[in-house]
Amino acid sequence: MTDDFRASAPPPGPPRPYHFPQVTRQTLPNGLKILVAENHSAPLVAVRALVGSGADHDTQQLAGLASMTAELLDEGAGSRDAIRLAEDLGLLGASLGAGTDWDASYISIDVLSKMFAPAIEIFTDVVRRPTLPDSALERVRSERLMELLQQREEPAAIAGKRFSNLLYGAGTYGNSIIGNPGSVSRLIIDDVRRFYQQNFVPNNTAMIIAGDVVASRVVADIARLFGDWKRAAAPERPAITPAPIEKSRVYLIDRPNAVQSEIRVGHIGVPRSTEDYFPLTVMNALLGGVFNSRINLNLRERHGYTYGARSVFAFRRQAGPFVVSAPVRNEVTLESVTEVLIELRRIRTGDIEPRELEDTKNYLAGVFPATVQSSSDIAGRILDMELYDLPHDYFDRYREKIAAVSADDVAHVAQKYIDPDRALIVIVGNAAQVREPLGTLGFPLEDLDVDGNVLPVA
Amino acid sequence: MLSIESYFLDNGLHVVLNEDHSAPLVAINLWYHVGSKNERPGRTGFAHLFEHMLFSGSQHVGNNEHFRYVQSVGGVLNGTTFFDRTNYFETLPSNYLALGLWLESDRMGFFLPALTQEKLDIQREVVKEERRQRYDNVPYGTAFERLLHLAYDPDYSYHWPTIGSMEDLTAASLDDIRTFFATWYRPDNCVLTVVGDFVAAEAKDLVARYFGDIAPGNSFPPFDLIRRDRRSEHREVFPSRVPLPRLYRLYHLPRMADRDWIAGDLLSTVLSSDKASRLEKSLVYEKQIATDVAAYVLPTEATGMLMVQATAKEGVATEQIERAIDDEIERLAVGGVTEDELTRAKNRTEVDYAHQIENYDARADLIGMMATYFEDPNRVLNWLEPYRMATADDLKRVVQRYLVPENRVTSIYVPEVA
Repeated sequence: MTDDFRASAPPPGPPRPYHFPQVTRQTLPNGLKILVAENHSAPLVAVRALVGSGADHDTQQLAGLASMTAELLDEGAGSRDAIRLAEDLGLLGASLGAGTDWDASYISIDVLSKMFAPAIEIFTDVVRRPTLPDSALERVRSERLMELLQQREEPAAIAGKRFSNLLYGAGTYGNSIIGNPGSVSRLIIDDVRRFYQQNFVPNNTAMIIAGDVVASRVVADIARLFGDWKRAAAPERPAITPAPIEKSRVYLIDRPNAVQSEIRVGHIGVPRSTEDYFPLTVMNALLGGVFNSRINLNLRERHGYTYGARSVFAFRRQAGPFVVSAPVRNEVTLESVTEVLIELRRIRTGDIEPRELEDTKNYLAGVFPATVQSSSDIAGRILDMELYDLPHDYFDRYREKIAAVSADDVAHVAQKYIDPDRALIVIVGNAAQVREPLGTLGFPLEDLDVDGNVLPVA
Repeated sequence: MLSIESYFLDNGLHVVLNEDHSAPLVAINLWYHVGSKNERPGRTGFAHLFEHMLFSGSQHVGNNEHFRYVQSVGGVLNGTTFFDRTNYFETLPSNYLALGLWLESDRMGFFLPALTQEKLDIQREVVKEERRQRYDNVPYGTAFERLLHLAYDPDYSYHWPTIGSMEDLTAASLDDIRTFFATWYRPDNCVLTVVGDFVAAEAKDLVARYFGDIAPGNSFPPFDLIRRDRRSEHREVFPSRVPLPRLYRLYHLPRMADRDWIAGDLLSTVLSSDKASRLEKSLVYEKQIATDVAAYVLPTEATGMLMVQATAKEGVATEQIERAIDDEIERLAVGGVTEDELTRAKNRTEVDYAHQIENYDARADLIGMMATYFEDPNRVLNWLEPYRMATADDLKRVVQRYLVPENRVTSIYVPEVA
């Protein structure tokens, strides 16, 4: 008994407006930026310190230094040692985190709003007065060397590292954020303290607070706690200048017992500041950025080759990679790479259906509120605005910028920024099973070991 | 305080509404009370494979159109399978509430007409790739599976993980899918939770319209689960392609929300949560013999499990790791936890809970769980009460009673010798 109301999708009701919370901004005389957004829907507060230096400041010799510095911040601060710090934060129910990506270093605390006052005092110590003890470096170094050892058996980690390394060479983006065994063994505590002193300065830092707080009071709190932090020379961002790829090549890393191949196909992308950001975002979502994108529908839903395939433009301060990734079973490795290349070529031709373009734009324009439900989400978005110098009305104008993207724009950026003939194809898998089929792609093929050393022709 | 309204349709569908206008969103969440526990040996992995099938279209919704409908209006969606339940959920702009209900009702009531062998064959391959990606092709990937095999008898339904075995996935037929659907996917085996920006009276009308005419099923097949106490520790050492040895433990606990399970949950936080927690402090911070440790309980309905794992540093024998863990447990058995430790564990639980309630989708899922396992969605309001009431003596009792050798299984991964 199928009635008419089941035959087709019901129409929507009138849309309800969505507004990103208002952001109160202030810059202290020492250069520290303060950004506060009130959100009283839950009794929680998210605090983020954004320090504008990340792993892109690491030298080849000391790869992993930025992330090591962040990891040592909670090993003691102010008058508390590491254990006392953990105990006192635990009594406040506060979770402290610190981390690093290519662009920046981050310190975070999430806490019930009733505990905000004591928590922000401890947080201030962690940001301004970490003790960075040598004994902690030795312990964390040893843990990190073990982590690097573990990654040598993780196919996704191997593929990611080899891809970045082949693309960017031995420096910066070509490294791993946590470094390599050589650089991690080389670090000494003076390196960490120097990195901290040069980069953790107020004029390189933004404090972002979102949640169940009163903005004016928080600004006053931060001014009191951070006002006497001494300004210093602003650190400079080292330039990253990778060499272009002349012709596509296949690199094969053997894992003799593998039951899947980890595939990476891609090349250099673009920086976050590109004027083509919105057309690129639409193009990539349509190509491989969401579940219903071409690459995932092709490899997963049409062929059953993979549990999931996707494409990403890593938008960083400087040009991060464009990469398509998929784990597929050994038997369909060649077929999967072939389908990826077909999709990369097709989107460049301008073969774009009006419906898929509309669906993609509607998704991007509409999904924002669903991804910004918590105070922690709000803080994350403000952090992005700050990190990438986005205009203050960025989120209010996001929908119209997406809506303005045309099929021609999509084809244009695909032609400009995607090039399957000048790409790296990295495969981590069972070489005995996949080498011969991959040879038929028509690209040169090289065998590498897990560390990237070229192996003699088999 | 959340306002929760709970009622049943004539066909048995349990509807739970939580109106909240702070964001222009609705979270729609369905818990079907069926999971891998309802499978039988020879047909493992079936509940999860079925979850994949439910995204492949129904009578009025084409293949892959479910995803398209939701994503093209700015919604997010997914489904997950566990031992005891399968959930399906989408968060939509609130003016698309009707769309979400239409989609969910179509696959609840009109799934079978759209079922084809080709769809099954594709999703079977996708699920096999999921198994390869998450279990078979990564270090330690099959640890949980091995632990379950050790912990439960072969005919006990927690013996296998939700992903199932490759052989059983191969064996799954279209008839199996039809029978499974008819047996378990029915309004009287489902909780529909809606959280967010709607007017309750309008939501009720929509729910009645879309779900009211879906027929309830026949009686449920008889099902009983009794875990036989094994009364001795089951252990294995498993040489595998892993760089570092890692120890996995499962301690049997009472089922979720039992007083001792609550204490076990707090105890797992005392054992491992930060540098000041017992195992982390001893193994990672002081002795520096492990790179990482973890302890946690799983939200299981039939019987409980407290998991402990620790990775040995290179050159450290797993016996040393095991002794250090047992020493800490022995210290807790004798001396109990301190009041400060208990307070910290309770505070952490309270903050975690506040974060879950903060998001519409996580809140809807929590309410669905309360309604499914305890037949009481309002339990979400006082979920923290038993945690607040728990005492240091409760935790000590749990250590003495459950964290003992005859109540545990241990699986130790060691690097294979080339």
